[in-house]
This record gives sequence, C-alpha cells and structure tokens, in this order.
Amino acid sequence: MNSQLAALVGTHLSDRRRSLLAWGVPLGLWSAFIVLIFPSVEGALSKAIANYPPALKEAFGIGELTSVEQYLHAEMLSLIVPLALGYLAVRAVASGLSGTAESGRLDVLLSAPVSRSRLAAASFAATAVELAIVLILTVLFTGLGSLVSGADLSFSATLAGYANVWPLALVFAGLGIIATGFSLRTSVVTGAVAGVLVSMYVIDLVGRLDPDLSGIRYVSVFRYYGNAIEDGIEPLAFFGVTVAAIVLAAFGAWLFEHRDLSG
Amino acid sequence: MPVIETERLTKSYGSARGIEDVTISVEAAEVFGFLGPNGAGKTTAIRTLLDLLHPSSGSARIFGLDSHRDSVAIRARLGNLPGDFGYGKQATGREGLRLLARLRGIEGLGRAEALAERFRADLDRPLGQLSRGNRQKVGLILATFHSPELLILDEPTSGLDPLMQEEFLALVAEERARGCTVLLSSHELDEVERVCDRVGIVREGKLIAVERIDELLGKARRTVTLELADSDDLSDLQSLPGVSDLQAADGKVSFKVGGDLDPVVKAIARRHILDMELTHPTLEEIFLTYYREGKG
Repeated sequence: MNSQLAALVGTHLSDRRRSLLAWGVPLGLWSAFIVLIFPSVEGALSKAIANYPPALKEAFGIGELTSVEQYLHAEMLSLIVPLALGYLAVRAVASGLSGTAESGRLDVLLSAPVSRSRLAAASFAATAVELAIVLILTVLFTGLGSLVSGADLSFSATLAGYANVWPLALVFAGLGIIATGFSLRTSVVTGAVAGVLVSMYVIDLVGRLDPDLSGIRYVSVFRYYGNAIEDGIEPLAFFGVTVAAIVLAAFGAWLFEHRDLSG
Repeated sequence: MPVIETERLTKSYGSARGIEDVTISVEAAEVFGFLGPNGAGKTTAIRTLLDLLHPSSGSARIFGLDSHRDSVAIRARLGNLPGDFGYGKQATGREGLRLLARLRGIEGLGRAEALAERFRADLDRPLGQLSRGNRQKVGLILATFHSPELLILDEPTSGLDPLMQEEFLALVAEERARGCTVLLSSHELDEVERVCDRVGIVREGKLIAVERIDELLGKARRTVTLELADSDDLSDLQSLPGVSDLQAADGKVSFKVGGDLDPVVKAIARRHILDMELTHPTLEEIFLTYYREGKG
C-alpha cells in the first residue's frame, strides 16, 4: 500500500515539476535581492522605521531593522512568503484532486484498487514535499545572496524562518482537501481557500491592531505563526499547526470519500 | 454466482434524473449491454456500480462483494473505460500505464504493447496532442492491459473509426472467450447487436427491458422496402403474421415486420423483385415496441 502512495506522490510531483521552479526560483531570487540590497539601505531604513506609527509597526511585525534577519522578516516572511506558499498549497492540492477530476484522470485512477482517501493523502503528502522543495530553493537562493553581499545572514535563522512557513501553508492544503469534498472545480476550490487565507491574515492583522479585538486572532492560523527568523521555531506552535493541518486533511479525505464523483 | 447483480438500484439527483429501480444480473463470461439514448442513465448506472456515485437506494454486488464497502477489492479485478476518457493533456499513455501498473502491483505493462500495436495507438505522445479516437484507443488499453475478470466500458467505440470499431468488437469477443465478463453501454443498436449476449434497454433512468439480443431483434419491427415488377395485388403480404403499416406507390412497397422473418422472405421470393432493403429499427422504434407491449 505504501508503494501506491509513493507512486501517486511521485506522479504528482512529476506533474508539478514546472511549478516547483516557477515558485521556488522567483521567491528565492526575490529573497536574495532583499538580502543583497540590505547593506546599502540599512541606515536609511532605520531612520524611516523610526518615523512609522507604532500601530503600523505592530501590525506588520516591523521592529528595529538593524539586522538583515529583521529586514528579511519584514520584507518576505511577515506577508509575502506565507500568503504565496498558502496559495501554492491550495493550488497544488487542488490540481491533485479537483484538477484530476476535471481532466478525467480521477475516473481512471479510481479504476485501480486505490481508495479515494489514499488519493487525498497522496495529494496532501505531495503538496507537503512540494512546499518543502520551494522553501529549500528559496533558502538556498537567499543564502547565496548573503554570500554575494556579505550581509552576514545567519543560515540557521533563515532556515528556521522559512521552515516555519511550512506548517502554516499546509493548513491551507488541508482546507483545500476539505473544499474538494464540496466542489470538484479547481477554480472554486482555489478561490474559496484563497479567500480563507486572506481573511485569516486580515483577522490576525485586525487583532494585532486593536487590543480589544485580540481574541479574534485565535481563529486565524497566523496567530501561531510568529517570527522564527528572529525568535527561532516555537516547537509547540510548529507541531500543533502541523497536526491541525493533518487533521483538516483527514477530515477532507473523509468528505472526499463520501461524496459523489459525477462524470 | 452472477458477476454483477443489482437490486432496485436507484440514484437520484434531486430534480435531475438519475436511475430508478435498476435490477440486472450479469453472468460470468457474458457480454451485457446497456442500450439507450444519450442522457438515458447508462453512465449513471455504470458510475454507481463503480462506487463513483453512491446509490440513493437499492444495492449492487460485483463478484459477490458489496459495490460500496468492498469497492477497492472489486476494482483490483476489473478494468474500466470511462465515458469521455481523459487523463490530462500533458501525460502520455505510457505514463498512465506505468502508474496504473504500480497501483495494481503489476510488474511491467502486461499486454499493453501488443494492444498498442493492434490498435495502432501511440503511447508516447501527450494525450492532448491526440485526436479523440486515438485517445479512446489509449483508454481502451488502460482498461484492458492487465487482463481483468470484468470489463466495464462506457461508450467504448465513441470516436473510433470503423476499422478500429471492428478491432474493438473482435477484442471483446476474445475477452469473452477467455472468460472475461463485459458490461458496456452504447446508443448504437448495431454495436450491441454484434457483440452483446443480452441487452438492457434504458430509457429516462429506467430499465424498461432486459432481453437476449436475438429476442430483442425478433420483437422489434424491421422495415422492408421493395421495388416490385408487379405490385397490384399485395394481399398475400398483408395477411402475413407480423406484417403491418404496408404502403404501396409506383411499384414501391414498404411495410414493417415484427417477429419471424422467414414467412415474409418466402412470400417475397415468389415475386419478381427489382430491389430490396431491410433496415433495423432505430432505438426509438425499439422503445415504442416495448411500450406497445406494456413493458414501459
């Protein structure tokens, strides 16, 4: 049975090999660019940040920008990378399930002795691998940028910062599988979960801006995201969010198992 | 024990039509056809058997196993060609075969190469670059390469050219000869007539009759059109059993025949015939036959 899972994951990754590069290389180059320009903008940034309203700095997690790690967090890891990887996760899982339904491949796969929940599990596992590869590519490009610019970026801190995005993005893969329990149209699945992704980000932002509304942050996975490039990975949050993603995926697989697959 | 057995199998989609109370029993090494127009419910019946759709009521058993609970075990023993076969535009047939072989735990690609040669199918070109007929050939190979015990084929000759249709019909005959049971759907009477042992006629979601193919053709009224040298007195033809709707004009005579054709042929043989045509009934005419008999 594990060979079935390996075959499905391998096929999924092979199908999405272009996507791995299409996401990993631009994100990596962008991240490297941030590191490259840091030495030249460091002084000007500090002055500009000092004049920012405190609420704005709090909302976007902008503290002192005196280190390249702080700059990388502010420019990449506080907004762009989590949203991009969350979206990529939904796209990947949707292409593995609703995309195969739209192309007719799902009917062919379900001619073989493989359960729908195994297909969902394979799609989730392949997405987890895909996200990891994109993050590794991004970290490698970022490290290269640091070497070229002499920015003295901590590789382990960078790795922690990017690795921390992985469970967060996986949550949206789990939500994507749940969405396929209700719709087998890729555009609907992607749109719905992308909407949840942005909503969660906004909810977390509002909760951070208004202390009276801080309670609403608990419904957003961004509440548990933190700032791993500076503070390190918080193990409880990392594993808690990973487990939550797996639970969501398992529930999605159950829904997928019990729904009709119309031709 | 029947290979396929359904008992009042029903699938409803709210206001849209599905299937209602479909009861069939298909024996081993039998070729059974679902015959009906597009939208009649043939595909819904097949998808419900394959557990792609969950029945609203009734039951289905394949190889004596429950079609829902034991779906994975059932699919290990069958091959399926979905209606409107697709596998993605970028993938090749060979990639599809490799994945299916791994999912089935098969070493190698079985008889896929031999089938590809027979159907002149290109397994190495992306499916998006193939015509509908050529994609259908790849679909047939994916369904049959592992020599399954049961073949379920939804509109299998759709898009195939006449030569490949012949090849397909020969393949079905060979599959039956090796003991494979075949369930196929079609809206072509000629096709099911040539390959099926029995046929279930589906209309508006209901199975209105299950007949042996020879009985079906015997009951259905064929149209005989004649051009006679002398068509003045047609009373001998008119009085024959099963003959109806006789019309004559300018030496041309046409009438319907239901049942045994032999007395008609013998009566015609006594005349000087200039031309003759025998046409099988259309699906609609067959349906009318069954409704007329009160089976609808």
